[in-house]
Amino acid sequence: MSATEAVPTTDERERRPGPGGPAAGGGFAVLAERLALPTAWLAVIVIYSATTPDTFLRWSNVSNILGSQAVLLMLALAALMPSLVGDFDLSLGGIMGLTATVIAKLNIQHGVDIVTAGVAGMLVALVAGALNGLFVVVCDTNALIVTLGMGSVFTGVIFWLTENNTLIGIDPALSQWTFTTGLATIPLEFFYGVGVMLLIWYVTSFTPLGLRALFVGQSREVARLSGIRVARIRIGGFILGGFIAGLAGVLFLGTTGSADPTATAPYLLPAYAAVFLGATSIKPGRFNAIGTGVAVYFLATGVNGLQLLGAKNYVQQLFYGAALVAAVVLSRQLRRR
Amino acid sequence: MRFGSFCALKDVDFRVERGEIVGLLGENGCGKSTLVKVLAGVNVPDEGGSLWLSGRQVPLPLLPGQFRDLGLSFVHQDLGLARTLTVAENLVFAETASAKSRRTINWRREVRRIEHLLGSYRVNVDPQAPINQLPPVGQALVAIVRAAEELKAYRERADVPQSILFLDEPTVFLPENEVEFLFDLVRTIVREGASAVFISHDLGAVRALCDRAVVLRDGELVGEAAIDAVTDRELIDMIVGSASGKLVGRAHRPAGGTGPAAATMCEVDGLRGGRVRGVDLAVRSAEIVGIAGLLGSGAEDIPYLCFGSRRSDSGVLTVGGRRLRLPRMRPFDAVRAGVALVPADRRRDGIAPTLTVAENTTILVNERYTRFGRLQARRLGDLVQRLLEKFDVRPRRPDARLGELSGGNQQRVVLAKWLEIDPRLLLLHEPTQGVDIAARAEIYRLVREAAAGGMATLWVSSDFEELATVCDRVLVMADGVVRAELTGDEVREDAISAAVYYYSTTAASVLSDPGGHE
Repeated sequence: MSATEAVPTTDERERRPGPGGPAAGGGFAVLAERLALPTAWLAVIVIYSATTPDTFLRWSNVSNILGSQAVLLMLALAALMPSLVGDFDLSLGGIMGLTATVIAKLNIQHGVDIVTAGVAGMLVALVAGALNGLFVVVCDTNALIVTLGMGSVFTGVIFWLTENNTLIGIDPALSQWTFTTGLATIPLEFFYGVGVMLLIWYVTSFTPLGLRALFVGQSREVARLSGIRVARIRIGGFILGGFIAGLAGVLFLGTTGSADPTATAPYLLPAYAAVFLGATSIKPGRFNAIGTGVAVYFLATGVNGLQLLGAKNYVQQLFYGAALVAAVVLSRQLRRR
Repeated sequence: MRFGSFCALKDVDFRVERGEIVGLLGENGCGKSTLVKVLAGVNVPDEGGSLWLSGRQVPLPLLPGQFRDLGLSFVHQDLGLARTLTVAENLVFAETASAKSRRTINWRREVRRIEHLLGSYRVNVDPQAPINQLPPVGQALVAIVRAAEELKAYRERADVPQSILFLDEPTVFLPENEVEFLFDLVRTIVREGASAVFISHDLGAVRALCDRAVVLRDGELVGEAAIDAVTDRELIDMIVGSASGKLVGRAHRPAGGTGPAAATMCEVDGLRGGRVRGVDLAVRSAEIVGIAGLLGSGAEDIPYLCFGSRRSDSGVLTVGGRRLRLPRMRPFDAVRAGVALVPADRRRDGIAPTLTVAENTTILVNERYTRFGRLQARRLGDLVQRLLEKFDVRPRRPDARLGELSGGNQQRVVLAKWLEIDPRLLLLHEPTQGVDIAARAEIYRLVREAAAGGMATLWVSSDFEELATVCDRVLVMADGVVRAELTGDEVREDAISAAVYYYSTTAASVLSDPGGHE
């Protein structure tokens, strides 16, 4: 199963009848679709600014939205990697938690300095991603099933390592490098996330490697018959996904200052929600980095405003789910026309 | 049965008697499958045809599924079985689906019953085995048993006076020595009171099974005869047409070394894999070599084996002086060696429909258009524009999604993409399938032009007119080996066709000179 199947926009495009060629749809419809999500984001901002002007627009709230979502942004970018090449990785939340746990365990319980512990943690993330690639691509199995299993394995290891306790007392230097230091009061980790996003955007949009990955993701058999080494690119997707999920784990550790064995798992579904939501925008029908970033912050802004208006915690789940379903359904309807 | 005019059928008058097995013979595109599709209710015939069953006229067109009420049952080439389900599940499902049964299924009893049922047809397969774990002949037998049970159910209904089994080329993928199992089963079914129509282009099979042969050509009935009263040569003449003469091609001689001065560009030695059982061939620089053969002859496997997209068991490909061991070769190696493949299944293998024309056209060469690793958008844009002009792709919109273009334009893009790497060897499989006539002529011209630059071309097609039009030389394959080679003025449609049917017939081994066979 490829991840693209989950995005209804891709195959719908080819069925769209094109009398007089694809231009018949009109440039406006295309542009409207591309910019639907950023426009919705803008609309949300305007509405909240009007309803709660003194809290929502305050700089502390803005920097809070930007900073607090850096971990999610990073994990969404991790989820983007296998998605780009047509795969799925449901173990990324597990890899993120495992990385945080390994670093915390080494640093707190074994007194390893934070840099060495960090490198060790990232190596674990790379190995975890490579294992996914090995099982899914080399052994030719269903990515959804295998990574679901691997995610459970990683979670089991997390509980084993932490003995079910939250590991507290991480080297404050890590928090300084990620969360407590800010640029214009926005935590540094936000800029790390944006940096990774821009890097992915550049590589996917402007390099031959990015185009090859695109072919693998959209038409695997055609890619293979065009002499593209499909297996390598897919394994690369899993390894990079694991690596970036590891980075998300580092940011998580820096943000919370502790490794809570239960705290990372709930990040996975919002991350995928952002990836799919992002695929309906900017470059509709394609998974793309900018769309993913916009989606993360659209969702965060929406939830933040509702909370300021007095909504309870469950509103986050409601909003994320509803926004994703609405976006996917709408973009499909738009094409049916 | 009587038929009037159909799109692909003109005044086909065709009877089936009770308890008779009729062989329906003809070339590709002669109207065999149209006939079947009309009866299955898939195709709608033109006005004016009529269908008589057991003396009663049935109004045309037939509705889909109406064939059940008419006592017809079909076994298509793909068999139509659920491949991951077991034999028993497939057979039980067929019964319950038609009977609209609501009762729950007692599987232990059903499996015992199916075992008994298979035994009564003397079919030896395990009812609990999944279909995809059976050998091909076992799968075919299960499909036919299922059809036989359908026919039996028809006969039990008072309102259906006839039961006719249609077998649409069921033997193509079966090993020759196992075909007899299938024939035995068909004979058993007919003894029980059904009739059968056996559609094939294998004379040997028709002769072994059928009582009477009916031959279609160009949608017309060109002959029928009791099978004992007609020779193979007479049947071939009916299938291929009057002009065929006795020209069936010279026995295969090793290519290369015998022809004009041009250097050999590409050589295939000892190729085995898929249905190919040992092929050697050579293509000279600038030469277009056609490969003709019926489905199952191995011709359709050659391009994929030579490209490394399907694993071969043995064989060496030499391209422009480079030796590549085929069992270890991947498409990646093929492309690097300058081998290009235009596959038959364009929508699945040829184009990325969701990506743009520009992306599809330049995927093989975009690495040449980079600066410090970054794609040079302007130079790439110029290239795409030039290619769209040269290959006359319409609309000339590089950012259109390729899936939205017509089949002909899609194929132009596929050709543009491959010819841009200046391949040494171009492998084409049914390159004009689903392509309009204008694009077809254009494809011939473009390949010829590229070939003139020194490229070697292997062109596999079931369209013999096409091969006659574009090829310098045509190899005829049957049973996984090259049986004949047509050169010079032998490269004509009728000659190719005659050679293909001649060598595909089991009886050919008796008629032909011994030199032509392994």
